[in-house]
Amino acid sequence: MSVDAFGLTDTGKVRENNEDHFVIATLRKAVDLGQTSLENGLLAGRVRESAARLFVVADGVGGHTGGELASGAAVQCLLEYVAQAAGCFHDLGVDQENEFLERLEAGIQRAHERIQRELGAGGEAPSTTLTLAALVGLRAYLVHVGDSRAYYLTRGRLRQLTRDQTMGEYLLDAGAWTEETAARARTAGNLISTVGGSEMTPSIGLVDLMPGDVLLLCTDGLTKHVADPQIAEVLGKNRSASESARELMDLALAAGGTDNITVIVAKLGE
Amino acid sequence: MIQKKICMVGVFGTGKTCLVQQFVHSRFSVKYHSTVGVKIDRKVVPVEDGEVTLLLWDLAGRDGHGDITVSYLRGAHGVLYVVDGTRRETFDQVFELRDIVEKAVGPLPSAVALNKSDLTEEWKLGKADDKALAARSWHQFTTSAKTGAGVEAAFAWIAREAVRQGSAPS
Repeated sequence: MSVDAFGLTDTGKVRENNEDHFVIATLRKAVDLGQTSLENGLLAGRVRESAARLFVVADGVGGHTGGELASGAAVQCLLEYVAQAAGCFHDLGVDQENEFLERLEAGIQRAHERIQRELGAGGEAPSTTLTLAALVGLRAYLVHVGDSRAYYLTRGRLRQLTRDQTMGEYLLDAGAWTEETAARARTAGNLISTVGGSEMTPSIGLVDLMPGDVLLLCTDGLTKHVADPQIAEVLGKNRSASESARELMDLALAAGGTDNITVIVAKLGE
Repeated sequence: MIQKKICMVGVFGTGKTCLVQQFVHSRFSVKYHSTVGVKIDRKVVPVEDGEVTLLLWDLAGRDGHGDITVSYLRGAHGVLYVVDGTRRETFDQVFELRDIVEKAVGPLPSAVALNKSDLTEEWKLGKADDKALAARSWHQFTTSAKTGAGVEAAFAWIAREAVRQGSAPS
């Protein structure tokens, strides 16, 4: 199955630094045949390439260059770990599927510990959100910390795959706040779970996609300015991933661009 | 450690996610969030011969009369069906859901959680319904994700049965 994926990041119109980072990567497991006495037909279907597509966005928290370092370190550490641990995605069976999720989660745990160890000397470490989607065939595995979001568009309908780990969401869930209170409160957007922070609670999930579906990962620089119906409209157009990503970015910038903005759009071939 | 995949199955809004949240994190959400795809949580629970890690697959609820996504059921070791005791139709549909699940993955250890027992004034189920479940040899628990009543017992039972079934000679 073909996947047309494209990512963009922008500092926005207000901030001086871009503390967001993203990665689009392909994990491959393949055997390159040199010579063999076997007839090639005997190997057909057995020696083949399998690939998982990996999409990650991270939004650093911490001011100055701390947030930028944290999001960069998290993405880099996660990618290094997953690259070492990769291979278990080949023909994911039931047991391997859980192992794969555990490894993705372990990669985030390792990034969390590295940030605390290397960037937290002498005080509180900077931290970062992190949202990861690993696409194996048509199944998307998700690991999420913070308020960077994953969505998918299926049959014209946009569905949010992640829930923001913020003070506002937490207090709404607990019944301590109403929607009105949350809309007014300045602390509603405070993160209650971050990579490198004092609390980190990864949320894990998966979803089976269909050919033609579109996956979107983004930082809150997009969702602060572009509402879900607008996102759905853009993703629903018959355009390339790069064109859709650019259009979403332009909408966020035109609406103020008050934060760093990062988007990854992945369109699954029909 | 042994791991067992338990799927939460039911109509939308029956409280599947809330039961898992109460069981795993001892918390209750008053705000309704529709689950998209599957949310996965883990919890280690004691069983007769030690401990087992439950992988709790909280499946998106059946919406209207659409089918559940059976691909999520692959490899399950047990199913906890969830009924909202204040919505009669969620009880009526649970039998059909079990047929769909068993057609997809065969018979598995399963129980029914009759959830939202804290809403006593709105409760729509009676003794005849208990008998209907018993007649199908279906283990049932009356639960409240809000108060926690019956929640530990339901998950402990499904954990025990999943382990027992897994170690039974074939």
